[in-house]
Amino acid sequence: MYKKNITPYLFIIPALLFILIFVYIPIVENFYFSFYRMNSYAPGKTFLGLDNYIDIFQNEIFYTAIINNTWYAVISLIFQVGLGLILAITLESKLLGKERKFFRTVYFLPSVIAIAAVGLMFYYIYNPNLGLLNAIINLFTESNFNYAWLGKPNTAIFAVIAMSQWQFTGYIMILLIVAIQKIPEELYEVAEIEGATSIQKAIYVTIPQIKEMILVTSVITVIGAFKLFTEIFVTTRGGPYDTTQVLGTFMYKTAFFYDKMGYAAAIAVIIFFITFTTSVIQIRLANRGED
Amino acid sequence: MSRKIITLSLVFAMLLVVTFSLTIGAQEVTLKFLHRWTQEPDSTFFEEVVANYEAQNPNINIDMEVVANDPFKEKIKIILGTENAPDVFFTWPGEFTNRFIRAGQVMDITSYMEDGWGDTLIDSVVEPFKYEGKIYGAPYRLDAKVFVYNTKIFEDVGVEEPKNFSEFITVLDKIKNAGYTPIAFGNMFPWAVSHYMGQLNAYSVPYDVYMEDLNPAEGDFAHPGYLMALEKYEELTPYFNENANAIRHDEARVSLFNGEAAMMYLEIIEIPTIEQQAPEEFKNNYDVFVMPPIEGAAGDQTALIGYPEGFVVSANTEHPEEAIAFLKYLTGKEVGRKEAQDLLFVNGVKNVVSEGEIPDSVYNTTQLVLKTERLVNWFDSSLHAEIWSVTGSELQKLTDGVATPEEVLENMREIAEEVRAQF
Amino acid sequence: MKYNSHNKSNYYLKKALTIFILLIFTVIVLYPMYWVVISSLKTNNEFLSAPLGFPNKLMFENYLSAWNKGFSRYFFNSILINIVSVVLTVSIGAACAYSLARFNFKGKTIIFYLILAGLLLSPQVAVLPLFKLLVRLRLYNTYWALILPYVGFNLPFSIFLMRSYFLSIPREIEESAYIDGCNTFTTFIKIILPISKPIIASAAIVTSRFFWNEFLFALIFIEDSSKYTIPIGLSHFRDSLSTDYTTMLAGITIAALPMIILFLVMQKQFIKGLTAGSVKG
Repeated sequence: MYKKNITPYLFIIPALLFILIFVYIPIVENFYFSFYRMNSYAPGKTFLGLDNYIDIFQNEIFYTAIINNTWYAVISLIFQVGLGLILAITLESKLLGKERKFFRTVYFLPSVIAIAAVGLMFYYIYNPNLGLLNAIINLFTESNFNYAWLGKPNTAIFAVIAMSQWQFTGYIMILLIVAIQKIPEELYEVAEIEGATSIQKAIYVTIPQIKEMILVTSVITVIGAFKLFTEIFVTTRGGPYDTTQVLGTFMYKTAFFYDKMGYAAAIAVIIFFITFTTSVIQIRLANRGED
Repeated sequence: MSRKIITLSLVFAMLLVVTFSLTIGAQEVTLKFLHRWTQEPDSTFFEEVVANYEAQNPNINIDMEVVANDPFKEKIKIILGTENAPDVFFTWPGEFTNRFIRAGQVMDITSYMEDGWGDTLIDSVVEPFKYEGKIYGAPYRLDAKVFVYNTKIFEDVGVEEPKNFSEFITVLDKIKNAGYTPIAFGNMFPWAVSHYMGQLNAYSVPYDVYMEDLNPAEGDFAHPGYLMALEKYEELTPYFNENANAIRHDEARVSLFNGEAAMMYLEIIEIPTIEQQAPEEFKNNYDVFVMPPIEGAAGDQTALIGYPEGFVVSANTEHPEEAIAFLKYLTGKEVGRKEAQDLLFVNGVKNVVSEGEIPDSVYNTTQLVLKTERLVNWFDSSLHAEIWSVTGSELQKLTDGVATPEEVLENMREIAEEVRAQF
Repeated sequence: MKYNSHNKSNYYLKKALTIFILLIFTVIVLYPMYWVVISSLKTNNEFLSAPLGFPNKLMFENYLSAWNKGFSRYFFNSILINIVSVVLTVSIGAACAYSLARFNFKGKTIIFYLILAGLLLSPQVAVLPLFKLLVRLRLYNTYWALILPYVGFNLPFSIFLMRSYFLSIPREIEESAYIDGCNTFTTFIKIILPISKPIIASAAIVTSRFFWNEFLFALIFIEDSSKYTIPIGLSHFRDSLSTDYTTMLAGITIAALPMIILFLVMQKQFIKGLTAGSVKG
């Protein structure tokens, strides 16, 4: 009997230890760090109370970062979810035959490449003098355009965002396609009998039926937008003059450039609250969908 | 029988003791060594230096690690926060190193220096490694910043090396009108602009005032010379190539080499790169001049920007004697000779090379450093990290023309005030 | 349904237009990749002088040079870290999920929610304390410095995924195993795991995609270039190669290729894993 009682715990303990030691304890500790002044290489630390938070809210770069994260979220919603949805519906429509498989595969392809590789790829594509983008523009306009897409504050963040749309629209599309494939065929048959056009079918049958998946992909996209790091780090590193900072890179910069680890921890706390609440919303939405 | 066993075991025990003490005597010491040269020929050079040292000192094992230049500035902080921090590591003297000294991470080597070692080195290039009167490191190579220019373009345009700043602007203007890029500039990482500012500050601000301002506990940058330096820099910006903030320093250097740009502000340690990588056309037609002095400015018009780079020993090393010995070797005459031959760099040892042993271009620019009475540090590594982070961004804005010198200075003073409050 | 000829030609026109638009997207997706691959086969001078041109001679040497300049090492590291992390995540996760799915015990609800909440936590929030922790544990700059946090952060998801699958397995299967004399552990190993292969594969694919991509931890927790993973190695490559563009582009291609091939070969499992991942993640 005794053995029977302890078995469930034996199965659980390894996983629980991993999660506690490498996820929960560091996150709790991060809250603690955020009240101190400390850096990565010196042993001591000074208690600051809420000063780090006050400083952050007075820092212009913080607002730049929030705005950039938000731009990323909004544009990703439009392209990855919006365009992804249109592509998914088109590829699943009766209009296409076997060729749909080809398009599906091609569109999904970029998302399997490591983000760092895509980032470096676009670092060269956007290069002012030898990049693909300007070369193509020059080919069509026969000019000598050498715009620095990643070097100008007006375009840098959007150039990075565009890169992510290139990479992930197909990914969201596939998620939506899988959801569309689960819609019972009869619903379409009924709609057809009533004389619905393909656009009407999309609006009145497909979209309501995959509503939950659309919500889920939207939330994934938004959370992804606030966790952003690699894309920025390998392309602009937050430059030129901090115009492309996002919360993740701002945190890295304060920790390892400014030597302010406590301050960086406070930024991490803010990332925590943003991603956590978005995730809670996701769970709420998903549960509502199941009811 | 039993006596045999006893004798045997005695012999065996003795053997054991002997081998044991032998192993102790020859116990291997592993030193962790960190530098920042990932590219050829430097990386091979360091491998050979380490191999030579290990061959000469069989009980020493050097565990070498390399981090590229730009990431090095972040990585070093991460690494020093760990217990397996390197025993001997690369660093830039000045505030970049001073903060590690304040955090107790760098060993004071004054006593070793006073023990004869210091006499072998050139005083003016050991000076930068001092903090509050104590010596913390040894120079690996001398450096300074000069304009390297294409003599053919200068002839073609009909201009000569400018003698002062206003002449410089005239020269730049003529070159621009002739259709060349006057100055190649890659400022994606703003250390590049910091070199301009270091020199211009030294020209515009009295030395003692400047030094005081570089101390994060006191600096307020109140002297009007700082504004003048920024304004002088702003005067240069129309002569840079486009997209200066979007390209890296070495990307920009390509346009100097291929004759599109007339000049570039380069460190003298890049002259070997010219000798190794530039096309013949350029190699045969270049010369150098220092940043033209500013007439009537308050600073020292003979000052030259160019701090040496060097190595320090970790304060936490478990093998201080061995680490010091390796540092001595690394910055000593033997390595210095090899360094001059293989890499065309000159280290801090007195008379390490003589004229004719290395290309004249290298020898002459090195003499510039040795003749200068006052070397000033790169602006980035002389500033507190936080002040530099803000200032670097501000200087990029100034480069793009989206901030004025007044705005840059105001933001700089503001962050300096915040940092002062932390001390 | 009556299709007259007008309707039919309308249909073909629509289809042609749709396919045309889809082909434009195809070009947008594929051309940048093609450009990287073709550029990686040029000499550096060809690349600098004509970014759109075709190479005179295919420079496969660039690949050799990227491979020899460290890529072989990054590759090995990424694969090693990936395999160990996946095996740990899936095995530890499966055990935990099984227990949560099958047994009632004290504290189960709390533990379940604790694990569930782990899904909502972003690795960025933990990175600074984790760094200090790994230093204290003397794991900094070892493979474990990546593997252990990776497993920690991916366990909640794989537990969640596998738990819902285990719940769907009828209990009768295990009961007959108990009658045959198996204990909990052997039942789990011999009965449950084999029939759960599809979900294990899904969990493995999703987590390995995370490990393959991970950048922030790998950037901070590893210092030694001989332990770099592919993403960090690539970024390091750019910083150290500077103007050797074509070798760099060859490196990017080498980094991208394995996942592309894996995807093309295992498309079905890939998509299954990813969709499973999204719904619950």
